[in-house]
Order: sequence, then C-alpha cells, then structure tokens
Amino acid sequence: MSSRILPGLAAGLLLGATSFGAMAADLVVYHSWSAAPEVAALNVLKAGIEAKGHTWTDIAIPHNTGSNVNLMSLVTGGQPPNVFMESNPGVYRDLAGMGFGFPLTQWYTDNHVTENLPAAVAASIAVDGEIVKVPTALHIDGMVYYNKDVAAAVGVDPASWTSLDAMFADFQKVRDAGYAPVAVGSQPFQVGYLMHALVAAIAGPDIYSSIYGGDVDPAVFDDPAFAKTLETLRLFSQEAGREAQNRPWNETTNQVITGKALMQVHGDWMKGEWLGAGKVAGKDFGCVEIPGAKSVVVTVDAWGLLGGVSDEMKAAELDFASVVVDPEIQAKFSAAKGSTPVRLDAPAASLDACSTEVLSILADPARQVQSPNNTVDSDWQSSIWDVVFNYWGDPSMSVEDVIAKLKDNYETILG
Amino acid sequence: MSEITIAARNAKGEVTVSRAPYFPRKKKTITGRSIAVLVFLALCALFFCIPLYVVVVTSFKTMDQIREGAMFSLPYVWTLEAWDHAWNSACSGINCNGLKVGFWSSVSILIPSLILSIGISMITGYALALWNVRWAGAFLFILFICAFVPFQIIMFPLISMTAALKVYGSIWGVALVHAVLAMPVLTLIFRNYYKDIPQEIMSAAVMDSGSFWRIFTEIILPMSGNILIVVLIMQITSIWNDYLIGVTFGGPGSQPMTVNLANLITISTGVTRYNDNMAAALLTAIPPLVIYFFVGKLFVQGITAGAIKG
Repeated sequence: MSSRILPGLAAGLLLGATSFGAMAADLVVYHSWSAAPEVAALNVLKAGIEAKGHTWTDIAIPHNTGSNVNLMSLVTGGQPPNVFMESNPGVYRDLAGMGFGFPLTQWYTDNHVTENLPAAVAASIAVDGEIVKVPTALHIDGMVYYNKDVAAAVGVDPASWTSLDAMFADFQKVRDAGYAPVAVGSQPFQVGYLMHALVAAIAGPDIYSSIYGGDVDPAVFDDPAFAKTLETLRLFSQEAGREAQNRPWNETTNQVITGKALMQVHGDWMKGEWLGAGKVAGKDFGCVEIPGAKSVVVTVDAWGLLGGVSDEMKAAELDFASVVVDPEIQAKFSAAKGSTPVRLDAPAASLDACSTEVLSILADPARQVQSPNNTVDSDWQSSIWDVVFNYWGDPSMSVEDVIAKLKDNYETILG
Repeated sequence: MSEITIAARNAKGEVTVSRAPYFPRKKKTITGRSIAVLVFLALCALFFCIPLYVVVVTSFKTMDQIREGAMFSLPYVWTLEAWDHAWNSACSGINCNGLKVGFWSSVSILIPSLILSIGISMITGYALALWNVRWAGAFLFILFICAFVPFQIIMFPLISMTAALKVYGSIWGVALVHAVLAMPVLTLIFRNYYKDIPQEIMSAAVMDSGSFWRIFTEIILPMSGNILIVVLIMQITSIWNDYLIGVTFGGPGSQPMTVNLANLITISTGVTRYNDNMAAALLTAIPPLVIYFFVGKLFVQGITAGAIKG
C-alpha cells in the first residue's frame, strides 16, 4: 500500500514545487559540443541551471561554417533555441534584425561582470558596441606546449627563452639529441593560425589590429616588423618534413605527446589532447607564450541569448548567463573542458599550470588582441591564409612577394 | 555430358532422336588481355578495400596504439570497446546514450518517409501513365525540371512552409520533405514503368467497372514488384544516409543517426578518438548494406526489367 502511495505523493510534491516556482523554465540549449571534455563542461553548466530550478533541453548539431545555417533554420522554422553557442558577430546582427536580439550591456554592468573580464574577452563579446554574448571559455591561439621529458633529456628549458632567437638557437641541440624541435602541421588552417599568432607576438598589437582588426591598413605590410614575422614563419616552415603535409593539429600534438618532438606552437585547445592522453600540466608538459611575445591572440567561445521572448523566459536566460559567468562555475567548467576561465578573478586554486600562465598574461590589457574570426572579413582572412600557405610551401617565394600579393589582394577584396 | 540429345515425334508419331548442334566452349586460357583485366579489377577493389581496411582495423584498436601513428598495422589487442562506446555511450551533445538513440530515430524517420515518398510517387506515376490526365505532358515536364533543383536553394522556403503546416521539427516534417524532394525522380520512374503496361489491360479493367483505386490495388500494384524493389533500395539508401534534411527539419527531438555520427566525429576543440569514430561510421553504414545483401539480387532484376521493356 505504502509503496503505491509514496511515489504518488512524491510526484505531487514535485508538481507543487514546480508550480510554486513561477520562474522555472525549460531552456533549449543549442551547441556544437560532443567530445567528452566538452560534455563534462556542459554538465557543469547544466547542474548550475538546475540548481536555479530550470531544466535543460539539449540540441547538439556540429557546425563549422561561419553563418551557422542550422541555427538560422531553427529560428526560421519557429523553434529557436533559448541559448546558443555562437561567436560570429554576423549571426547576432542577423538575429537582431529579425527581432531576436538580446542586449546585455546593462546586465553586465549591474552584475559587475565586465570589470573582471580580460580586455580581449570584453571586446569580443560586444557586437557594434553592445554586449550580446556570454563568454564561456577562453583560448590563446598561439601557445608553446612542450614535452617536459624531452626538454629534460635534451637539456633545454623552454620557460627560460626570452626571445624567438633564443628558441631557434636551442633547436640544433634538440636535433643533435635526435628529436624534432617543433612539430608543425602543413595545413592552411594551422599555418594561418600560426601566422596571426606570430604577427601578434612579433609585430605587436597595433600592426595586428591593422591587418586582422576591423579596419585594414595595407601600409603596415611595409613595416619591418611584418617582414620579420614572415622570416620567422619561414623558419617554422623549414621544420616541416614530408610527414607534416596536411597533418591535422591533433596528430601534430601527438608527435609531442609521444616524445618525437619537443614542442608545438598552436592554439591551447591542444591541452585537451594532452589531458586525453592522461598527462598533467606542469608535470608532463609545460606551456609558455611565444617567447618574447608582444601580445597574444584570444579566442572566446560564447553563448548568445534569444531576445523577443516572454519576460519569464528572459529571466531564465539571464539565470543561464549568470551561471556561465559565475567565477566558481567558470573554474569548474574550465577544469572539465581544458580551457581557461574567462574571468581574472576565478579561484586560483582550481587552475592548472597552463591556465594560471594564461590568466597572468591576460592581466595586462595592452598585451592581448581578439581572434580574427571575430573581427575580420572572412574573404580577407582566407586570402591571407592562401598567400601565407603558398609562402609556407614554396621556399622560392620571398617576403617581398608575399607583401606584394597581400597588397594586391587588399585592393581586390577591401580596396 | 556433351551427348545432348533432342527427342521429337515426327508426323507418324515415331520418336526420332537427333543430336543437338553442339558448339564446344573455348577453353579458358590465360592471355595478356585477361591478365590486364584482372589487374585492373584488383586495383579497383584495392582502391575501395584499403580505406575500408583502415577503418575496420582502427575501430578495433586502442587509442594508445592509434597515437603511435602506424595506421596499417593490425591491433595489438583486438578490442570491441570502441564499438561498445559508439553504440551505447557516445555523446551527442549532453546526452551520452550512444548511436542507438539515433538509430531508432533514423528508423522512425525511415518508415513514414518511405511510405509517403513511394506512395505519392507511385500513384502520381500511375495516374500520369495510364489515365487521361489533362495537362499530363506539361505536368511531367515540370516534374522533370524539378528533378534538377538543388535542395539547398529551396531549403529556407521549405522551412517556412513546413512551419506553417505545423510539421516543422517533427518526424512528419522530415518525411514530408523527403517525399516532396523524391517525388520528381520517383514519379518519372514509376510513370515510365507503367506506360509499358498494355493499353488492353487497362481497357479490360475499366470495362469491368474498375475504379481508379480498385485498378491500382488489384491490378497495378501486384505488377509493380520489380520496380518497387528498385525504388525501395534507392529510397532506403538515400533516406538513411541523409544528413541535411534530417538536421534541418528534424528540430530538437527527431534527428537521425547521421547527426549523432556528425556530433561524434566533428571536433571543435576536443580530442579525436579515431577508434570510436570508425566504429560509429561503420555502425551507421551497416543498415543499407544489410538491405543490399538481402534484396540485391532482386534489385538487379528490377533494373533490367525496367531497361529491357518497351
């Protein structure tokens, strides 16, 4: 008898609880994450949402395109998600045009979030001057990750390098010991990312912004620092063997993990591969910024909130935002995903060696720039990738050729 | 065995036996030409088998071995872990119940899509081929043109239309779009098959006071076995392998297995687990293969029946 009554009673109580909490809502969450660390990170957010009395309905669709067609088809079909993972500013402009924009600047100010964000994060969550995104994870586009065992075996210490010259000077020692100094993947995407990371590191934030910022100024191509960047890129390309041809970044990372190469320069999402192989940051592998870097490039994964909904739903969506940017939850989220918290005030104890390093770099607002994906015309970016990749693969192409070609492309695309 | 005889009765009723004309078959000899053909066929087979080999062995390896990079090597330890993971616990978004969720979702998309797409086209083809439909020629011509319209350019209008019909984001939305998009080609196939049915059969059926539907169910449908097999295989393959229609019209709840597969193998900033990916790809590819194995012979018969007629 009691066994029949109890579940009924429990269900009744639950129903009562949900109807009492008038704010409870079902949030439809659209994203493109399905890898194990990503799912673990999403579950951190889900627990936070559920603690606020809401439920999480999941839609996962992978996408690699800039315009996010799948999100737009859900919106067109009249079943838009309440929150969606999206960084491309164009999507936010489109949504605002359709009456689904959700401006958040006031909310950020009221909740004292903005002042705790690194400058590049604060810049990348705004579209046309209005904050519309909720930053969830942060990555640096060009970090040096190195195998500590190899470094110890060879007798070099990447953490001691203060300039790229010092780094390249040590390479012969690595080669003599029978290791590849740097693992590179000859793929347009990897070379393109290496290029913009090097521009930020060697040529500095001003020249970077004149190439990868919103307003492109072709005059900076004549700057000697830009030529120096290209010469450095050539040094990296000389480390690419035949096997590097079209090698994906994660396989390149595995060259370092398995101790065939000393280091790799790539986005610090490589940490996921290291953690996946059971390695520990600071113990098995180390991470430093590009030696002597003038600035670093910051990629931000962010959520958008759907506007044009009921006030109740708006409140629920803002609850979601407050969960995402909560410092404690940020720390847990980043530990699960292998990213770095987007807040400078994330509890230090929960950070691994690499995230600590990244946040210490980002404490200085003058030394960080946004990822080109956030700012630059996509035709212009792919034309840079194209030229730089040709330069990478063709030793007879000179720095002057690259500069001439880039100027030419500028005239065609943006001139 | 070569003594083939033919028995026949002559005019008087006596049985005469005569030797049938006998042409001995040329003995097979290995010539330069046959070697060339064999080599060519072997190369063609290798072209498909080598990647398949890599997919299969990778699906049985451990990640530690895959990280070593030798992709042609056999697994040190054969393990079904990746298969188990892909089927039972792979994540599609936050839900980690494996591809089996998508499998059943694909099955529940497949059945209504098949019935709807084949049903509509079959009846349209029957009407156009055997009944006097006004403007039939123009109608066929329009269908023919429609067969060349790529889905992508009418995707957004279709989304608005299905949303207006209140089927967007459901299995019925997906089935409807599959039916509409398959209609031009399938209707042409059925129409061409039915137009070879002798006019006399139709006339007799009409005389026997058969209605449109009665003639269809009692006479035409039983004659459609061959072509049904062909169309069934075509449709099962294309609906099962479809990604774009499922992902676009399925909405939150009813996405097919291919979307799960894509979630599993598309990494943004996570780790690539090649063994899981390969096992998942094989699991997704198996159902149409099974169908081919079972009805492949009938498929060839059906195609040739259509080709020789007329």
